[in-house]
Amino acid sequence: MSQGITGPINYRCPQCLFRAIDYDLLYDKEQEQYYCRRCNWEGEEIEILGFYSVYKKQYKHMLKRWTVEQIEAKDEEE
Amino acid sequence: MDKFILNVIHRPELVPEYINTDAVEGKADDLGAKEVIGESLDIFKLQQDIAHRNGLKCTIQMTYAALYNDEAIALAKQYHEEFGDEIAHTFLGVNCEEFRKKYGLKDPAIWLYHMDDKKRIVVDSFERFKEVFGFYPTSTGSYYMDADLIAFIKEKYPMVKTAVATCFEEGPKVFRHANNSWYTIMDGAPWTAWIPSKYNSQAIAENEEDDLGIVAVPHLSRDLLAIQDNAGDMFGTHPQNVIRGLINEGDRLPFQYNLVDQYQVMKNYNKGYSYNLVYVGPGWMGKAGRWETGYETLVKSYEDFLAYYGNLKKEGKVEDMTMTEFADWYRENKAINEPCCALWKDTLFGTKNQVFWYADSQMRATVEMKMGGAIVDLRPYASKLRRPVGAGTKANQDASYPYIVHSRYRAGPFVHYAGEGAIKSAKIRCGAEEVDLSSCRTTATYEEGKGFRKCILRPVTIEFQTLEVQIETAYTFWENTGRIEISRKVVGSSDPSKKVVIDEFLTSCWGTTEYAEDLTGCTLSVVEKDGTRNDLSYDYRCREFKADNAAAVEAVIPMVQTKVSLTPADDDCTGYYEEGYSFAPNLKIGVYKEIGLNESLVTTMKLEQAEEI
Repeated sequence: MSQGITGPINYRCPQCLFRAIDYDLLYDKEQEQYYCRRCNWEGEEIEILGFYSVYKKQYKHMLKRWTVEQIEAKDEEE
Repeated sequence: MDKFILNVIHRPELVPEYINTDAVEGKADDLGAKEVIGESLDIFKLQQDIAHRNGLKCTIQMTYAALYNDEAIALAKQYHEEFGDEIAHTFLGVNCEEFRKKYGLKDPAIWLYHMDDKKRIVVDSFERFKEVFGFYPTSTGSYYMDADLIAFIKEKYPMVKTAVATCFEEGPKVFRHANNSWYTIMDGAPWTAWIPSKYNSQAIAENEEDDLGIVAVPHLSRDLLAIQDNAGDMFGTHPQNVIRGLINEGDRLPFQYNLVDQYQVMKNYNKGYSYNLVYVGPGWMGKAGRWETGYETLVKSYEDFLAYYGNLKKEGKVEDMTMTEFADWYRENKAINEPCCALWKDTLFGTKNQVFWYADSQMRATVEMKMGGAIVDLRPYASKLRRPVGAGTKANQDASYPYIVHSRYRAGPFVHYAGEGAIKSAKIRCGAEEVDLSSCRTTATYEEGKGFRKCILRPVTIEFQTLEVQIETAYTFWENTGRIEISRKVVGSSDPSKKVVIDEFLTSCWGTTEYAEDLTGCTLSVVEKDGTRNDLSYDYRCREFKADNAAAVEAVIPMVQTKVSLTPADDDCTGYYEEGYSFAPNLKIGVYKEIGLNESLVTTMKLEQAEEI
């Protein structure tokens, strides 16, 4: 088994991401699999993207634009 | 005043940490790798072009490496002549072949070196700057610069007016985020420009005598709510940091514009003034991309971001300045001990959460509205705590200004087993029932007047089994006095004949990280109206004391040279202390009184300097 390398895309470990740690995954080209050297996560790209998608759900207003006026007015009701 | 000021800073780093890591993967460390230097300069030129395309003036911070690179020097001169950019200096990016040969050292930035090396590097790089450009720089910076380093620079080079002196709230959270390997451990400073104290560069100067001689600015402008429970390196005026936080769908990241717009709103709390700093190192726009994001998206995010500022400039809503121009403006328009205020609203997580930040020469305090207006983070600048950092110092890498309350690092209102976490809050009692205000979510409004800033919380309802009351909290920060006046008023009641007990308390400790520090030798006191003092030396023995008719309760934490007291405005208050124990390593002081409808308990919390151990 040869050494792990940076994958076709340099993904961060999705499991570590959820506990606020940026940790680069390594890629096992023989098994075509990403794996983390810190935690016990391993998997394919599609799983990483699935995790990332769930991670983004914390940002409920990620795509919402708040202007100056909207921020000033926000939550000002009694 | 109506002034929103922008500093855009670029640095020809030449050996940026991220590009270097990527480029030399699998190879030995090579500081002279041509592909790295060439790419870094290309990115610098691209960043400059993007700024100028949008009509924005830049500050070019020359790194040590750049001062030995003919192309970088020529570019800086050209940009200065053509666009009026400031040629400035930075202590970031010192590593290069020349530096390694001369010093044999590897720390990437100056604040972690021994003081003797810091002095050598200052003189060496400033003299090299003079040799190259014919003048000394008036602005410089690093991720962090302690008071001793700034004082040395001012002594040798008094023309220096400003510096990037800290990264706001890059403490344990950012350290952990970077797999415990990014040593910008520097929680505790203001989030916007300030004039630093001679005692500690993170604290705001008290007066002319205490003025360290520069205008300090934080490395980036950050979301003041998102950074509380997340690493700050995802929520700043740095689009690639925003992408790092996955706060984007492809090249769509409206959060970066929301952030700028919320900083415009900060004018409402700072007498018409607000400030932004954009500072993206070339390593974030490398050809290889950054993590899962490709080069094109990284570049587009920067183009879009500066285009937004460019449009604001065209609309007259932002004024771009160089760092030195800004320092001159700040000196002319702001007091040495100018308080900083922010009532910050969530624009990202989809909540009504708000947080109020206040900083002056005596403290930095954070009031959290979803915790009923509890103070969740308190830094006692009044203690004038000297904290030199770098090799050879006691603090070494930990530059953070210590807290005496931190409700996230030190549990706050929720503990898993025993005791209470660090928080400044109040409890409301009715018979045997008790409710902590930190469980009552609310929002706030802001007022200001001569010598004070005020955060007023919208009333919250406390439901007891036989009574319902509405409580309104107001914090009045008396500027540069160390005093916060805290008012808890019963503004509504289902039964006006009944009273409730308001227990105004502080659960405190000290530290810079999540771990408990030793409290042995702290003093707890209840001072009675007749002057009788009841003192206790902290020793983890769980001792408690209370006295009716208390004049004040006090705690002295000598490890951080801090005395904190609660003084009720009314008579007939009971004062108490609780010592704590090893599983609950805090100290607690409080005052309580029974009050009815339309009555208040008003207490002044004061921070003062105490003698150190």
